[in-house]
Amino acid sequence: MSDTSDLDRQIEQLKRCEIIMEAEVKALCAKAREILVEESNVQRVDSPVTVCGDIHGQFYDLKELFKVGGDVPETNYLFMGDFVDRGFYSVETFLLLLALKVRYPDRITLIRGNHESRQITQVYGFYDECLRKYGSITVWRYCTEIFDYLSLSAIIDGRIFCVHGGLSPSIQTLDQIRTIDRKLHTQGWGVSPRGAGYLFGSDVVAQFNVSNDIDMICRAHQLVMEGYKWHFNETVLTVWSAPNYCYRLVGDLDLLLEEREFTIFEAAPQESRGVPSKKPQADYFL
Amino acid sequence: MAASDSGTDESLYPIAVLIDELKNEDVQLRLNSIKKLSTIALALGVERTRSELIPFLTDTIYDEDEVLLALAEQLGNFINLVGGGEFAHCLLPPLESLATVEETVVRDKAVASLRAVAAHHTPQALEQHFVPLVQRLAGGDWFTSRASACGLFSVCYTRVSAPVKAELRQHFRSLCQDDTPMVRRAAAYKLGEFARVVEVEYVKSDLIPMFVYLAQDEQDSVRLLAAEACATVAALLPPEDMEQLVMPTVRARAGDTSWRVRYMVADKFVELQQAVGPELARSDLAQIFQGLLKDTEAEVRAAAAGKVKDFCMNLDKAHQEHIIMTMILPQIKDLVCDPNQHVKSALASVIMGLSPIVGRHNTIEYLLPLFLTQLKDECPEVRLNIISNLECVNEVIGIQQLVQSLLPAIVELAEDTKWRVRLAIIEHMPLLAGQLGQEFFDEKLTGLCMSWLIDHVYAIREAATLNLKKLVEQYGATWAETNVIPKVMAMSREQNYLHRMTYLFCINVLSEVCGKDITTRVLLPTVLSMADDNVANVRFNVAKTLQKMAPYLDPAVIQPQVKPVLEKLNVDPDVDVKYFASEAIAGIAG
Repeated sequence: MSDTSDLDRQIEQLKRCEIIMEAEVKALCAKAREILVEESNVQRVDSPVTVCGDIHGQFYDLKELFKVGGDVPETNYLFMGDFVDRGFYSVETFLLLLALKVRYPDRITLIRGNHESRQITQVYGFYDECLRKYGSITVWRYCTEIFDYLSLSAIIDGRIFCVHGGLSPSIQTLDQIRTIDRKLHTQGWGVSPRGAGYLFGSDVVAQFNVSNDIDMICRAHQLVMEGYKWHFNETVLTVWSAPNYCYRLVGDLDLLLEEREFTIFEAAPQESRGVPSKKPQADYFL
Repeated sequence: MAASDSGTDESLYPIAVLIDELKNEDVQLRLNSIKKLSTIALALGVERTRSELIPFLTDTIYDEDEVLLALAEQLGNFINLVGGGEFAHCLLPPLESLATVEETVVRDKAVASLRAVAAHHTPQALEQHFVPLVQRLAGGDWFTSRASACGLFSVCYTRVSAPVKAELRQHFRSLCQDDTPMVRRAAAYKLGEFARVVEVEYVKSDLIPMFVYLAQDEQDSVRLLAAEACATVAALLPPEDMEQLVMPTVRARAGDTSWRVRYMVADKFVELQQAVGPELARSDLAQIFQGLLKDTEAEVRAAAAGKVKDFCMNLDKAHQEHIIMTMILPQIKDLVCDPNQHVKSALASVIMGLSPIVGRHNTIEYLLPLFLTQLKDECPEVRLNIISNLECVNEVIGIQQLVQSLLPAIVELAEDTKWRVRLAIIEHMPLLAGQLGQEFFDEKLTGLCMSWLIDHVYAIREAATLNLKKLVEQYGATWAETNVIPKVMAMSREQNYLHRMTYLFCINVLSEVCGKDITTRVLLPTVLSMADDNVANVRFNVAKTLQKMAPYLDPAVIQPQVKPVLEKLNVDPDVDVKYFASEAIAGIAG
């Protein structure tokens, strides 16, 4: 029981966008590993569930998402990867999601995105953020180790296949994914850095859906201004959840998919997001 | 690396590492070490800190800005670590260097630390160490040091001798007339602060001419800062000098060619009004304010519009109503139809505050039509600002007068696409419920309150739930049973599990206010029936709800009705259902 109350306290702390201690991160990751190792590469999820796309360290937009969609455990969530990098609060974002996962394993599902990787986080900010906030890379090590345990995909009610990026040409069936040892493939599956991603083709998708007896594929990874976008006669759906991508206003959108009901939410208002102050404005004359 | 033979040295080992890291090639390591500088100093002791660490730090000035920033900040808190105020001056050399670097952030931090350190100097040490530093910076070749100097005058002036004071004033005057706009800007920014510690006679003879000079600077950003200092300077002067020394500048800046300067005047207008006193406020400022309210630039009008209430409130009572009605009101009438929505919105946030000032008659006659116009404004923020300030008017005339216009505005905002607008409206429902009376409310607004319960945004559903509770508190349990509960009950059969859960959240709050009878007889049965819901989230919320409503239930039903259901949930296949059921069982038993 004291484990639970400890965890509840950490969740409250993270919800205020305050980091937890390094030792707590270590313990949290150990518990997360026990839970995640049991999950399948194609994790079974029951509806009703709210599906969310990339968060990219935009903590205040994650909070906005919970305001619109409801809190965990009241609402069930499936996050399709890319929790970290680019935003200012990758540490708080990922640890909050992870703490919720440990506290309510059946209410929230996290699958791996291409940014959940050692290489990519060293380039796009998560590594530096860990170093800055903890003074060492220990927390980054704990987190990236957990990345290896994250499930690669999920299937809702056996009908909707959810994956971060897309399909790999070498994979035709879900069973093939199930047999991957994800701890050995640290690159992740079916997802790849931007620019080198696999494209969907309508024939590939149709073939995949038929041979696996599923209705549709739901994925994230790609920015869609509207927050969500259907492709190929509603057999593929792209979801995006980071409203101010890189804190640039590119469209105030996001989507929550829930029993095919969409909710779009806007970026958290400026006054409620504690954007860390960088250098003050340059001298007016210079 | 430090020797580690003896026990004492072993305890110093981490310190040796930190010192090593101060010289490390990796910026991050140097930064970490600088942040732990106080630990190093503590370990070294005050003497070695003074003789070794500080000179060493003085030499590291050629580091990355990030490291310098951390260093500048640390040194401000170093007084005790160098042995107290007596030795405060030994912190000056590194801070002096930091105050000259190119990066503004570092300089500003160094100046802040110098200001903190100055307070610990004795008057003697000030004259011996600190003032020469100020003079060196003020006479520096590069503008960075001269700009930094501007912030140091006020912290040493009061505690030095008269001749030194005269020198300091002279230096400050030179800085005000510096060739570089950056320095004049720093001087203009610090002028008010410096004037506060200078004797009035010298404010008049030395600083006012500089204030007037800076207020006419060729650069608008310098004039802007002088305009900002206006209120501070004015507050220092006796009333008889105001007209001659301050007002010409006020008039000139209110008519400045740069809108940014006029904006600053508008932004500081209330402070200025208080500084110049009621006489001038009436004879001169009212007219200047009138001008700002009809400025060509929307930013200026918006800043002035936001000050309307405070300006009017601060006018002297004998002339208040007259000035408002003849000078301010005509401008407000125009602003209500301003082409810019920020102007209208700024006005809408304060306009209702005029009611208590001008009284019932004037409000009905003159202000009410303006409120009504703003209630119909195309911009939701304008309407929302009016509705958010209803209580001001309510106290003067009651909102009955507004009802006919209020309703369409409320209904429209209630359906706004931005959920924060909807949220703001919900929060005003209890006030409206109290004002409008039950019958009218039922006819026009109860339906709206119910529709928010199935809003697609969770935060709205949550607010709607709390609103329901407040309404029942006002209108009573009987009203709830006929008007609210049947509609709430219907939600227990909604297709979407989130709506079924909203039903449970409603029950949570309603049971607190509906009384034992209704809670037991009407609310409980549905809650119990939902224990078989096929969605786990609903089932564990049944457990949570039962725990919350237990104190409000007839104790007789706990054992036969509530307990069996919780026992069943306690063996549910879902972990969370089990957890919350066991919590509820423990909670009810305790």
